Amino acid sequence: MANSKKLAELARRREQLFAMGGAERVERQHQMGKWSARERLAALLDPDTFQELGAHVEARVGEPAPADGVVTGVGRAGGRPVYVYAQDFTVVGGSLGEMHAKKIQAMQDLALKAGCPMVGLNDSGGARIQEGVDALSGYGEIFRRNTHASGVIPQITVIMGPSAGGAVYSPALTDLVIMVRGTAQMFITGPQVIRAVTGEQVTAEELGGADAQLTRSGVAHFAADTDAEALALTRELLARFPANNLEDPPRQPPRPPEPVDLNGLVPDDPNKPYDVRRIIAGVVDRGSFLECQAGYADNVVVGWAHLDGQPVGVIANQPRVLAGTLDIDASDKLARFVRLCDAFNFPLLTLVDTPGYLPGTAQEYGGIIRHGAKVLYAYAEATVPKVTVILRKAYGGAYLAMCSRSLGADLAVAWPSAEIAVMGPEPAANIIYRRELEAAPDPAAARREKVAEYRERFANPYVAAARGYVDAVVEPAETRAALIRMLSALMSKRESRPSKKHGNVPL
Amino acid sequence: MMARRFQVTVDGHRYEVEVSELPDTAPALAEPALRAPAPAPAVWGAAHAREGLAAGPRQASAGTIAAPLPGVALEVRVAVGDSVAAGDVLVILEAMKMENEITAAAAGTVETVHVVPGASVAAGDPLVTLG
Repeated sequence: MANSKKLAELARRREQLFAMGGAERVERQHQMGKWSARERLAALLDPDTFQELGAHVEARVGEPAPADGVVTGVGRAGGRPVYVYAQDFTVVGGSLGEMHAKKIQAMQDLALKAGCPMVGLNDSGGARIQEGVDALSGYGEIFRRNTHASGVIPQITVIMGPSAGGAVYSPALTDLVIMVRGTAQMFITGPQVIRAVTGEQVTAEELGGADAQLTRSGVAHFAADTDAEALALTRELLARFPANNLEDPPRQPPRPPEPVDLNGLVPDDPNKPYDVRRIIAGVVDRGSFLECQAGYADNVVVGWAHLDGQPVGVIANQPRVLAGTLDIDASDKLARFVRLCDAFNFPLLTLVDTPGYLPGTAQEYGGIIRHGAKVLYAYAEATVPKVTVILRKAYGGAYLAMCSRSLGADLAVAWPSAEIAVMGPEPAANIIYRRELEAAPDPAAARREKVAEYRERFANPYVAAARGYVDAVVEPAETRAALIRMLSALMSKRESRPSKKHGNVPL
Repeated sequence: MMARRFQVTVDGHRYEVEVSELPDTAPALAEPALRAPAPAPAVWGAAHAREGLAAGPRQASAGTIAAPLPGVALEVRVAVGDSVAAGDVLVILEAMKMENEITAAAAGTVETVHVVPGASVAAGDPLVTLG
C-alpha cells in the first residue's frame, strides 16, 4: 500500500529528528551535566503540549542535520502558550547557519504576531563558519526581531552552554537572562583571544560563567545550578508575566505576609544598617518575592512580588550594602527593572532609605550623572501605578530620584522615621550655621547642637507632608494595609504621554 | 579535574593546547525529562523553596575582604586566629553616615587584620584576610 509506505517514511524521518545528534552525542551532553534540546523542552513545557514547527528545515550547505541543530515550536507553560527555540549542541554543535537562524526568526515572528512570550534555550558553538555571511546575517535578523518585540512580549533567554561572540547579543536584547552554573558561558572574546591580545590569564568560567555575568557584569539576571532548576525558574517567570504588553500580569490568591515586626525593624539610630528584604517580606504576600539580579549592585534590591494577590515590582534601597547609596551599577539595575515593569504593567512599589549618590572619582568619571539620570528617566516615564514608601533617609537628589511625588509617584507614604530634606543634617548644619559655628567658643559642641536642631526641625516626614509631598504618614505595621487600599484604587489609572517616536533615554 | 598543557605543531604552526581528562563516570544527572517532565512547581512554593537561588551568587572562597567604600574602621570585631562563619561581622566601617557591617563571605580563619579601630581606609583597601 502506497500510503503505508508514506507513513513509514514520515515515521523514519521523525525517528531521525527525535534522535537528534544520536545516542552517543546525547550521552556526551549528559556527561557534561547538560540535557539535550528535546529533554529541555520537555522540562520547560506542560506535558504533551509541544507542537514542533519547521522540523524538516535543512541547511543549503553541507549534509542535512536533524532539525538543523535547533528545535523550534510552540507549547504551553502553566497552561499559557509560549513560543520556543532550543539549540541542540549534539547536532552540528548547535551552530547557527542561515536556515537554523530562519527557524528562530520564524518563532520570533509568530510570537510577536500572536502576542505570546518567547523563550530561547541557547547551547551553541556559534556561527556555522561554512555558511559565511549568511550565518552572520542570521544573527542580525534575530537581533532586529528581538528589538522590535522588546516591550511587546516578554523575551527570556536561558544560556545552557557556550554563547560567544555575536551569539551574546540576542540574549542581551531580551528581557531576562538565566545562566546555568558550570556549563553556560557568555563572552564577546574568549580566554584565548584575551590571552593573545592583553596577556590576561582567565578561564572561560571565570570570564563568562554564570556567577561572573550575574555578580560582576550584571548581564545575567539569574544563575541556576542545573538545567532543571533553570527551566523551573523560567516557568515561574512566565507564570508571573503577562503574555504581552496589552495584558496585565496574572493575579494570585492573596496571602498574608510573613510575620515581621515592622515597627521595630528600622533602628532608631539612622547610622545603623538593617536588611530591607525583611521589610519587603513583612509587607508583601508570604513567599511571593522573587528577587532579580540578586548579587549584582545589592545596594538596591529589585524583584517581583504580590500584594494582596496583585503583582507588583518592588524596588528598595539596601542600607546594609554600600550604606544604601545609589551608584552606577545600582542605577542601571534599578532603571532597567523599572522599565521592564512599566512595559508589562507591574505597578511599582518603591521603598526609600538612601543617604544619596555614592561619592568618588570613579563614580564621577564613570558617568554617575548619566547613569543616575536613567533612574529619574525610568520613573518619570513609567505610567503604571507608582506608590513610594519613605522608610528613613531621603535626601536631596536621591530622594527625588527614588520615585518621589515630584517625579511622578501617584502616592507617597512616609514612616515616622522618615528624614526628608534637601540634605543630611551634618552638611546642612555646616552650611546654614557656618558663621555661628565659626564664632562659637566650642565649635564641635555647637556643631552637635545645630545638627540635632536641624534633625529635629527638618529631618522628619512632617515638613514634606505639610507641603503635600507626602500623602500619608503611617505606622510601619499599618503599611501593608495602607498600600493595599491605595494600590487597589490606582489600578484603573490611565496615564498617557505626548505621542512621539521614542524618548531619548540617557544610556 | 587537572588540565595539562601541551605544545602541538600542525603544518609548521605551533599551538598551545590545554587538555583535561573527563571523569569515567558521568556526573550525577537527574533522570532526563524526555517524556515526563517534573510537574510544574506552584509559583508560590517555588519562590520559597529555592531560597538559595533567589539569594544570589555562590561565594567562591574566603580570601581578602576589602573596603567596599571609603570610610573609617569604627570597630574591628575579630583577631588573628579567630574562626569565623560566613556572614559573621568582621569590621564596622563607618561610611556615608552608616555603620556598615563588613561580613565574611565564607567561613575561615582570620589570617591578617589590616586595620585598627579609627583607621581611615580607601575603597578597595584590604580589611581582613581569611584563610
